[in-house]
Amino acid sequence: MSAITLALSIFGIMLVLMAIRIPIAVAMFGAGTAGYLMQTGWAAYSSFLNTQAFARFASYDLSVIPLFILMGHFATQGGISKSLFQFAASVMGRFKGGLAMAAVLASAAFGAICGSSVATAATITGVALPEMKRHGYSGRLSTGTLAAGGTLGILIPPSVPLVIYAILAEQNIAKLFAAAMVPGIIAMCGYMIAIAIYVRVVPGQAPEVDANREKMSFNDMMGIVPIAVIFMIVFGGIYGGYFTPTEGAGVGAASTFVAALLKREITWPKFKECFYATAESSAMIFMIFVGADVMNSSLALTQVPNQLATVVGSWGLSPLMVVTAILLFYVVLGAVMDELSMILLTIPIFFPMIMGLDFGMPKESVAIWFGIMVLMTVGFGMLAPPVGLNVYVVNTMAKDVPISESYKGVMPFLISDTIRTTLLLFFPGISLWLIQYVA
Amino acid sequence: MPALKILTTLSRLCAILAGLLLTGITLMTCYSLIGRNTTGATISGDFELTGVATGAAIALFMPLCQLKRGNIIVDFFTAKVSERINAQLDRFGALMMSATFVLLSWRTSLGGLSAYETQSGTMMVGFPEWIVYATMVPPFMLTAVIALAQAIRSEADAQGASA
Repeated sequence: MSAITLALSIFGIMLVLMAIRIPIAVAMFGAGTAGYLMQTGWAAYSSFLNTQAFARFASYDLSVIPLFILMGHFATQGGISKSLFQFAASVMGRFKGGLAMAAVLASAAFGAICGSSVATAATITGVALPEMKRHGYSGRLSTGTLAAGGTLGILIPPSVPLVIYAILAEQNIAKLFAAAMVPGIIAMCGYMIAIAIYVRVVPGQAPEVDANREKMSFNDMMGIVPIAVIFMIVFGGIYGGYFTPTEGAGVGAASTFVAALLKREITWPKFKECFYATAESSAMIFMIFVGADVMNSSLALTQVPNQLATVVGSWGLSPLMVVTAILLFYVVLGAVMDELSMILLTIPIFFPMIMGLDFGMPKESVAIWFGIMVLMTVGFGMLAPPVGLNVYVVNTMAKDVPISESYKGVMPFLISDTIRTTLLLFFPGISLWLIQYVA
Repeated sequence: MPALKILTTLSRLCAILAGLLLTGITLMTCYSLIGRNTTGATISGDFELTGVATGAAIALFMPLCQLKRGNIIVDFFTAKVSERINAQLDRFGALMMSATFVLLSWRTSLGGLSAYETQSGTMMVGFPEWIVYATMVPPFMLTAVIALAQAIRSEADAQGASA
């Protein structure tokens, strides 16, 4: 069997297994195992497996992932979100569609201490949805806004997908976080503009501005304080050179825990909930790591990923075209697959390909910019039908809104996403300029 | 069903233990950082200890994730298939998950034995690696048992247990 046929068969087995509801991690593990055994036999495969789980799980670099996840769950259970949304509502109240904009602002702020889009969407939905409903916002606009706002959890650092990209591409996590900052803020503004236009073009989605609304009180202002302080400690520490990103995650988790204690929100049952939720997300991610490792080692043995990079390089396509093609591929793949599996499976193949092309920028800049582009596209997949994970999560919490309404609601935000992604694709400088100040 | 109750209790205990390990790491990190940036005294090998403690924690997180069916699946292609067939496919998926964890338990045990024989330890403080391997194997075995139970029992019962 030729190398290409073999690589394609391994891929094919994986896709078939995935299509019949085998957990993605196991589909990758199974297909990778088959491919590995066909090429090297049992002895090499089994000795690879002896140390694999240990090597992946007990790694200092990867420990940043469960720590950021734990931090996010402390924030979720710690009652920080409610006062945060009150703050956002008092800032945005003067605009039409203000509560929807407040939901976006609160999601962005929450995203600054939480690295997961689903956790951000669920947390902010919990506090914002009842308020929006009470003030007469349509189910379509509320759920669409909250699902889109949730993606700010990964677009604004810290960001679990970005950490995984950094590890796979062997790039500096701190620099990638810095590169994500400006695009993340653009995303937030883009979503607010989308709301402003939507409520004016489509009537009946949001109430008129309440003329008798209360002025912003001192209590409202305090809502932002815990998050601002934690964010300053974590990122000030990382960029000030006081600690590594993993240590930042540790300090962040500890300070979020303290903030929750001060709010008197965290009890032993809630503490256990934090652990259970961290268990589910971390185990899921690391299981995909295990599967993707076997799959990628097996593919690497065929030499096809290397050859693919050379072949694509020799076609003489414009580099920007290759990136665009890859991003479009992610949009399609993202329609059925979750973002982490996608990154873990494709970055080992696509990254060498991208690094072999000449973009007229230093290699490191290309690697960072491409990471931001992947992150943007992945965020798109979390909203777009038929399977937008965020839309699904928010919709489950809004029992009276049909899912078709929610998908209509995310449309303005998908348009905003498309414009932003195109902008970042053609102007890498937007992502890269902040890095020079933090290096 | 007492057997499922035991599995639930065990996997929760594992998750709590792992959560406490992670919380311990955050405290150690803070302590170490305050020391490093003030008096200059650090915990030697704090990076390594973070790594190995996370390794154990991640393995201890596995059983609960499987119990709650937290391992992500693609349900797009089978959305229109009858519930009965989907339930059958999920049982097959759980069976494959169980096989994966049997394999991982077995090979990780061997990896641990060899780490014990060679007395390999971490770089700075020489923390024995076999201890981490030894902590990983029981939760792997527990995960294999949970997945097997999910493969044998019908979907409705398994969901009842995870509530």
